[in-house]
Amino acid sequence: MIYLTCALDAEARPLIEHYRLKRDYTLPYTFYKGDGILLLVTGIGRSNAMLALSALMGYRIPTKDDLLINIGICGAPDTYRLGEALLIHQIMDTDRSYYPDILYPHPLRETGLMCVDTPVSSPCLSPVDMESGGIFQAASRFLKLHQMAFIKIVSDHFEPHKVTKEGAIHLVKSHIHTLESLIASLQKVSSDPSLFTPEEMEKIGEWKTHFTVSQGVKLEEALFYFRLKIPKRPLPFPTDPIPTSKRERSTLLETFIAHLTA
Amino acid sequence: MKPLSPTSPPKLYSHLYVEKRVLNHPQTRFIMEKFDRSAIVLIDHYKEVFNRPNQSFAAQSDSKKLILAHKDGKFLHEGSQYSDGFEHPQFFYASSIMGCLYDCDYCYLQGLYPSANTVLFVNLEDAFEQLLPYLDKDTLIATSYDTDTLAIESLTRQTLLWLEFAENQKNLHLEIRTKSANFKPLKKMKPNQRVILAWTLSPQKIIDRYEHATPSLAQRLRAIKEAVEAGWNVRVCIDPVIYTDAFETLYPDLIDILFHHIDPSTITHLTLGSFRMSTPHLRALKKLHRSDVAFYPYEVSDDMATYPETIESTILETLVAKARTYLNEERIRTWQRQS
Ligand code: SF4
Repeated sequence: MIYLTCALDAEARPLIEHYRLKRDYTLPYTFYKGDGILLLVTGIGRSNAMLALSALMGYRIPTKDDLLINIGICGAPDTYRLGEALLIHQIMDTDRSYYPDILYPHPLRETGLMCVDTPVSSPCLSPVDMESGGIFQAASRFLKLHQMAFIKIVSDHFEPHKVTKEGAIHLVKSHIHTLESLIASLQKVSSDPSLFTPEEMEKIGEWKTHFTVSQGVKLEEALFYFRLKIPKRPLPFPTDPIPTSKRERSTLLETFIAHLTA
Repeated sequence: MKPLSPTSPPKLYSHLYVEKRVLNHPQTRFIMEKFDRSAIVLIDHYKEVFNRPNQSFAAQSDSKKLILAHKDGKFLHEGSQYSDGFEHPQFFYASSIMGCLYDCDYCYLQGLYPSANTVLFVNLEDAFEQLLPYLDKDTLIATSYDTDTLAIESLTRQTLLWLEFAENQKNLHLEIRTKSANFKPLKKMKPNQRVILAWTLSPQKIIDRYEHATPSLAQRLRAIKEAVEAGWNVRVCIDPVIYTDAFETLYPDLIDILFHHIDPSTITHLTLGSFRMSTPHLRALKKLHRSDVAFYPYEVSDDMATYPETIESTILETLVAKARTYLNEERIRTWQRQS
C-alpha cells in the first residue's frame, strides 16, 4: 500500500485524478482510496498533520512493504528554481531534526527542510513547509525510516501571497512522473523479506498452540534456521497427527527440531 | 547544508552527516573533498542520525552512510573475555569508528548498533592523549576492534596515524585486524615490530555466503603476502569458524591454501576459534532474521552462545591437527570456552 499525504485539497487534486481515487468517508478527514493507494489531506500545520497521520495509521496499520510519501508545495530561497521538486533528507523542526533514510538512487536535488509554524514571507536559509515535522513524528512510529519520503515542490521564494490554488494544482500535476519514479525506486529498497508464506505462518501458529511458549520459540528458531540455510526447501512438518500425551508431544518436537537443524 | 545536485550520488556513502563542530576538522575536509558528490547534511550530534529509532539494518546495509563526529568520552576500552590480549599486561581496544563497511552475517555489530551506517570520530588525536598515561607499561591496543579500519583506510587514514604514533612509543603494541585486501596505504610505512597485522580468513564458500562486501580469499592472501614480504608481523585468524555440512573439507583446505601461498615461517601465529557470541548480541541478531548463523541451536553458558561442546572440539581438533602440519604448537592459538 502507498500512503500519500498532502496538506491542501489543491495539492491532492492531480493525484486523485491521476490515480482515479474515490472519496471515502470513514475518517473525519478528506480521504481517498484507490488501487493500492490511500490519500489523506491533512490540513495545514504541524499538529493538524500529526493528528491526521495518526488517524490514517490507525485506520490501516502499515506493513513493512508499505510506503508513505508526503508531497506538496514549499517556499524556498531563490537558489531553488520555482517548480523544482526537492527530496528532503533532513526536517528541522522546532527543537529537533528528523532524518528520513534515502537508500535509493534518484535524480532529485536533496535538501533540508524547515518545518515552521506560520507562512514565511522573509528570506530563510532553507526551504520551509508547515507539516513535515508532524508527519514524520506520527509516521515514524509505524514505518521504518526508509519507507517514508518527502517531496516538496518549490512554489515561491518566500512570497506565499503569490501562491494560488491553480498554481498548486499545476505544480503537483507537473511532478506526477517524479512521484511515480520515486515510488518505483522506494519499492526496490530491499526490506526485511518475509521468510514464510502466509500458509506456512498459519501452520507454524497452529503447531505452536500444542506446545509451551518456550517450546514454541525453539520451534520457530529451528524453522528460521532451516529456511535461511536453504531458502527454497519446503518446511518438512511431520504428517502424523500431534500426540495427545505431553511426553510424546515433546519427543516429537525434539525430533523435528533436530531434523530442522541437522 | 549542501543540496545534492541532480548528478548521480555514489552508492557508498551517498550521504555524509557531519556534526557542525567537526566541519572544519582536517579529516572532515579531506573526506568531504573525496566524496564531493555526496549530500552533506549538517547535524548537531551523531546520535540524532545513528541512534534514530526504526532504522532497518538490513535495508541500510545496501546503502551505507557516513557520519563524521567528535568523540567526547573514552576512546579506549578494556579488552573483552571473547578476545585474545596476547599476554600483554594492558590490553585495550580503541573505538574510533562505529559500524563497518563490510557486512558479515555473524557480526555482533548488528546486535550492538541500531544502524548499519558508520560513525567516524575524527578527533583521533584525543585517543592518543588518553593513551599516553598508560604507556609506562607494555600495552596492546586493538585499533580495529568494532570495525575494520583498514577497509576504509583511504578515507580515514587512521591506521597510518596509529602507526606514526606507535613509532615513538616503545611500550605500545598494536594489533590491526582486517579482512581488507588494502595493503597499499601501509606500503610507504616502515614495518614496526611492535605491530601485528592480523588477517581474518574464511573459505571462499563461507565468504560468499556470510561475509558480504568483503574481499575474496585470493585478494586477502595477496595482501598477506605483500605484508610479510614488506617485513610486517602478520597473524592469520581463522576465527570465527562457521560450522557447516562441508566443514570437514572447507576449513582444512583453507589451511592448505593459506600455506600454499604463504610461507608458514613468515607468520607469527595462526589463531583458530569457532563462532561464539554473547547472548544479548545473539538475541538482537535473531531479530534481524538475516542469516541461519543466528538460529543455530547453540549451547548457552555464562551468557555466551557457543557450538555444542562436541562440535566445538571437532572444529578445534580438526583444525589444530591440520595446522600442526605447518606450524609448531606455540604458534597456534585457539579460542576455547572457559570450563
Ligand atoms: S569485518 Fe568484522 S566488524 Fe566488519 S562486519 Fe565483518 S565481522 Fe563485523
